Amino acid sequence: MRWFVPYGNPTYFLWLALAIIPLMIGLLYGRRFRGYQTLISFFFLLLTFGGPNWRTGIALIGYFIYQILLVSGYSYYRQRKGSANKGWVFIGAVILAILPLVIVKVTPAIENGRQSIIGFLGISYITFKVVQTIMETRDGIIKEFHPVLFGQFLLFFPTISSGPIDRYRRFLTDYEKVPPQSEYLNLIQTGVRYIFTGFVYKFILAYFFGTMLMPIVERRALLAHGFSWNIVAYMYVYSMDLFFDFAGYSLFAVGISYLMGIKTPMNFNQPFKSKNIKDFWNRWHMTLSFWFRDYIFMRLVFFFMKHKVFKSRVTTANVCYVINMLIMGFWHGETWFYITYGLFHGVALVINDTWLRYKKKHQAVIPHNKLTELFAIFLTFNVVCFSFLIFSGFLNTLFFGPHRF
Amino acid sequence: MSLKKRLWLIFGPILTAAALMLVVFLSPLWSRFNYVSPKVQRNAAASLSPLVLKGQLIKRNALENHYVPFFGSSEWSRFDPFHPSVLATKYHRSYRPFLLGARGSQSLTNFFVMQSVNAQLKNKKAVFFVSPQWFTPIGENPNAFMFYYSPLQTTTWIENQTGSKMDRYAAYRLLEMPSGNSDKIISSALARIAAGLAPTRSQMLYIGVRRRILLNEDQIYSRFRIPLNNAETIDKNMKLLPKHDNDRKLYALAGKLGKQQTTSNDFGISNAFWNRRLKRHIGQLKDFQANQSYLQSPEYSDFELVLDQFAKDRTNVLFIIPPVNRKWQQYTGLSASMLQKFSAKIKYQLRSQGFNHIADLSKDGNVPYFMTDTIHPGWRGWLKIDQSVKPFLTKKVSPPHYKINNQFYSKKWQQDQY
Repeated sequence: MRWFVPYGNPTYFLWLALAIIPLMIGLLYGRRFRGYQTLISFFFLLLTFGGPNWRTGIALIGYFIYQILLVSGYSYYRQRKGSANKGWVFIGAVILAILPLVIVKVTPAIENGRQSIIGFLGISYITFKVVQTIMETRDGIIKEFHPVLFGQFLLFFPTISSGPIDRYRRFLTDYEKVPPQSEYLNLIQTGVRYIFTGFVYKFILAYFFGTMLMPIVERRALLAHGFSWNIVAYMYVYSMDLFFDFAGYSLFAVGISYLMGIKTPMNFNQPFKSKNIKDFWNRWHMTLSFWFRDYIFMRLVFFFMKHKVFKSRVTTANVCYVINMLIMGFWHGETWFYITYGLFHGVALVINDTWLRYKKKHQAVIPHNKLTELFAIFLTFNVVCFSFLIFSGFLNTLFFGPHRF
Repeated sequence: MSLKKRLWLIFGPILTAAALMLVVFLSPLWSRFNYVSPKVQRNAAASLSPLVLKGQLIKRNALENHYVPFFGSSEWSRFDPFHPSVLATKYHRSYRPFLLGARGSQSLTNFFVMQSVNAQLKNKKAVFFVSPQWFTPIGENPNAFMFYYSPLQTTTWIENQTGSKMDRYAAYRLLEMPSGNSDKIISSALARIAAGLAPTRSQMLYIGVRRRILLNEDQIYSRFRIPLNNAETIDKNMKLLPKHDNDRKLYALAGKLGKQQTTSNDFGISNAFWNRRLKRHIGQLKDFQANQSYLQSPEYSDFELVLDQFAKDRTNVLFIIPPVNRKWQQYTGLSASMLQKFSAKIKYQLRSQGFNHIADLSKDGNVPYFMTDTIHPGWRGWLKIDQSVKPFLTKKVSPPHYKINNQFYSKKWQQDQY
């Protein structure tokens, strides 16, 4: 038996195709074979978390039980008639939900890069789903809790390792019903297109940028010692690799979900066409940025407004942008470059908002035409690529890495 | 639109593409398209690229023209005006070296490289550079072997293997490497060969299909993917040479250039190598080779594989045994008597089986400007090698009479202190 990184090689896709054909036939004729779906989910989880990775498999099982108990407990507390709905219980539940993720993220920073034993591939993405469910339970939007359905949602195998991050209620509506045949055929058509676009992205373009170009540019930049145009080249090559690799992966995850009759949300929408940074975050890693928008940014804004912490709404928004993006930076990992990356985007959002307000006020004098739009796209693209250069950690290797001969 | 039609519209293109791909990669027609332009041959001959080493088409084409295989390892990358490729090109010799080998390619890799060109080695000539540094107690490094491993060469060899001692030993060695276990069916076929059995019919069927696909890939892509070529380096070095092939002039020039380029250290090591690789670590390297021995190594039997294959192909081979830079050898504590025993042991293995063309340079380690670095010949070293290579490849040499002795596959010979 071989063990696989999800969507890592052709054999994985072959297994995948064979496994979901029965499911697809069922869906075409109006049936969802839930038992069979659970069975193949188990099989694919085993492919990723079994064999040499069995330790992470154990970690996943432990984590899964922990979160199910936690959400069950909180739901029981919140969904009782006349629940007290105390703030501290809610905050306690959220803290408990993110605690394992925090441990996993902090361990390498304090233990010299050693990975925590409770970590596994995709822990962040499951944590996002859990926190979201707790928050919506607190808000009273989720009125009923089914441990089994919730488990299906958490462990939905096409998206388990790197998202996209679905929402519980949205997932449930798809999972509980079977789409009408004509609608399902459209889903298949789109899904197949996504998967094949994903092949082009991941196995051709990301391979070209990441595996063929990147090592060459990287070596040149390192040999130049200090600043050189090679760093700029590295910046663009890395950005392209990052996009095509991740967007390709996301297309696979969404495509496979569609074939299974689940409309997992899209993760990318032509991000390099963005006209400003805000636009960019509406197009790049969308499910993550929307998650941060809904469950961190908006909540912070409400909190600050309710307690009247800042006088002006503009200040409130700006502070929230920076905190929001900083948290995203910390989420990526406890290194100076991830945190700087978060700060950079927080500040970029503040500048962007300031500029847009200024522009609105002076509409009469500031031109707006095709040319300025093109310039805006160009500027945004470069700002974003520069942020990815920070994100890549390459500057860290360049400035602080071990010197080679 | 009916369900069937709709499904066909979605999946039809995929199925058609899959069928087309199968047809393309399984088609025997590709083996008809053999043309490789002289330019690609020239580039490949000096590219030292692992892709060329692992492939087949380019080598076959080149060796059928005036190219002669120069088997070896890292020494071929030491280009200077006296490098065999530069001399042969500059003086329009009747042969051109086809350099095979790079850092870490030892006997076992060379044996499998030979499998892709056996037909082109038949009754022809070849040069083989034997590095003493291959013959460590561990022998071939599995990772280096993996880097040059070619499933095409392995499947080609399996299709032609006859169950001889050579084939059984090669299968046994391959199974000791991770590369030999990378494909389940191939590794079980190898296990059968090592045990003296022929692979089963289904194994052979699989190997045949696999080889057909690999072969077609090679036929289709190989001439387009030579990433680096050293044509420029060769041209640049050619310009430094005198107009005519004159031993005395060349010798003087080699001394002059060697002197210019070894000003930074007392070892006679080229400045570039010294500054980049050694200067910073020189303190730690004192006596670091004091316990090194090249006398006991599985490499001796891997080398026997190469000899056995040359004998089967009746190839006339010139073997070159290089020295170690004497000052370096003394500084690092490498035993001089061990090196002498090594060359005696390897020469016994060669001579006793009829391989009589040997350029033994092992005593030349203290000739000034002979070595370009610690273990690789440069300037005068290349010239000395040329004194054997040139007559061997340009004049008529009597056909070889080889007598292979299977004792050289034994642990006893591998471990013989000599």
